[in-house]
Amino acid sequence: MNLKKLLYIDRRIIYLVVAIGALIPIIRPIGLPVEPTDPVIGLFDKLESLSPGDAVIISYDYGPSSEPELNPMSSAILRHCFHREIKVLIMAVFPLGGVNMAIREVERITSEFEDLEYGVDYVNLGYKDGGQAAMKALAVSIRDVFPADVDGNDISAMPIINEIRNYDDVEVVISLATGIIGEWWADLVNAQFSVPVAVGCTAVSAPKYYAFLRSGQMIAVLGGLKGASEYEELLRRNFVWARKVYSDPAEMKLAATTGMDVQAIVHVIIIVFIIFGNIMYFATGKEKGR
Amino acid sequence: MRRTIPLVLTFVVGMYPIFAFFVPHASISGVNQWLDRALMIVAAFALPLGVVNLVGMNLTKIKQKREGWPYAIVLLAGLVVMAYFGVIGVITRQHTGFHPTFQMLFDNMVSPLQATMFSLLAFYVASAAYRAFRARNVEATILLVAAIIVMLGRIPFGDMLTGGRMTPLSEWIMNRPNAAAQRGIIIGAALGAASMSIRVILGIERTYLGKSRD
Repeated sequence: MNLKKLLYIDRRIIYLVVAIGALIPIIRPIGLPVEPTDPVIGLFDKLESLSPGDAVIISYDYGPSSEPELNPMSSAILRHCFHREIKVLIMAVFPLGGVNMAIREVERITSEFEDLEYGVDYVNLGYKDGGQAAMKALAVSIRDVFPADVDGNDISAMPIINEIRNYDDVEVVISLATGIIGEWWADLVNAQFSVPVAVGCTAVSAPKYYAFLRSGQMIAVLGGLKGASEYEELLRRNFVWARKVYSDPAEMKLAATTGMDVQAIVHVIIIVFIIFGNIMYFATGKEKGR
Repeated sequence: MRRTIPLVLTFVVGMYPIFAFFVPHASISGVNQWLDRALMIVAAFALPLGVVNLVGMNLTKIKQKREGWPYAIVLLAGLVVMAYFGVIGVITRQHTGFHPTFQMLFDNMVSPLQATMFSLLAFYVASAAYRAFRARNVEATILLVAAIIVMLGRIPFGDMLTGGRMTPLSEWIMNRPNAAAQRGIIIGAALGAASMSIRVILGIERTYLGKSRD
């Protein structure tokens, strides 16, 4: 067999193999085991250390392109916060759909909790332009930066805003971020105002955040689907309600744990292609592939 | 005057936050907080500026029937329709969240289109990995081995194959060599941004003022 033909394999064949590899676990989930790692445990432990009534900010700094990776993180973190009776301020500084992501996620998760009261237990502050300027101004007054919530309601009458005035009353900021926004939270809010920051990001962004994690500017980094699936696993291991939620087939379709099956198969396919490509490379006398 | 006033303004609004950071007195920080609020308003003006640019460029493309001009029509139509329902939704406020049509278009067009674009990455990465990821020299081989370890460490198969050793090894690569390299890049970029800011504040860098007619 001509080895050069294998080296110049049609890319459509590669696409077909990846497509089949991605489809099989979607049709028939495998349920591969997930082991939580320290960068993810950091956020879980932080939320566990909080008392009922403590407050966190969750900033939806991503758009639809990152939705499959970051929505499962958002769901798991919101569930954890609401079960622990932690107050949640929701906001967005990402212009291309951040607030849409927040609306959808908050509506979906809050519908699971009958006792939650809008304006008391949580509030969706909506989108604010100005990125770093908005983050900085929140240190003085949340009410000044967001005079109205996402629906245009005056927030000054909401009890949650009277209790949580600025970063002094916030225990941790969680940014679900794409691009550079997660860095801004660490550079500005953690460095200048000493607020603990955790970032949930896409897998391609995760490597840069490890520098912030190592320096202590972030308490946790949830990288891509794996980070989200590890958080789901932490919830499953520690809470009965989580085992119930994450055994529901409808919920499992959206869960990162299911997505990890697809990611695992596709990673294996890519690794096999890399190894096979290198074998062909050496077998054909280091000929350059097209 | 056309150049002097912007230069003086840039110097004042650039230096003041630096001064306020080191002198956190109430009288100083009050003005700084006002500057922060002003910055949010100024940043919002970047949006209409971008819209004007986008419309101008695409109208020219359509007029001159340049390559891919039908896509420019789709883009402008999308811009007008989304902007219309977005603005109407804010003005009427007869519902929670966004205007229902805006939300419907976002959920059924913007969202799947963006997700599709991002999903295609898996196919391109697989193809590119097969063709370009070669152990051509020592550096490329180190990168190749590190990539395979990290990829295996990100999936359960890695630990299954190695008895739980792959995740710690992958985390070590991310926490040590990767973090060190990222730190270098971040510090380099920050120093570059700081030096550029100083050049702008001091009026050495003036390209933002456009071409001089003086």
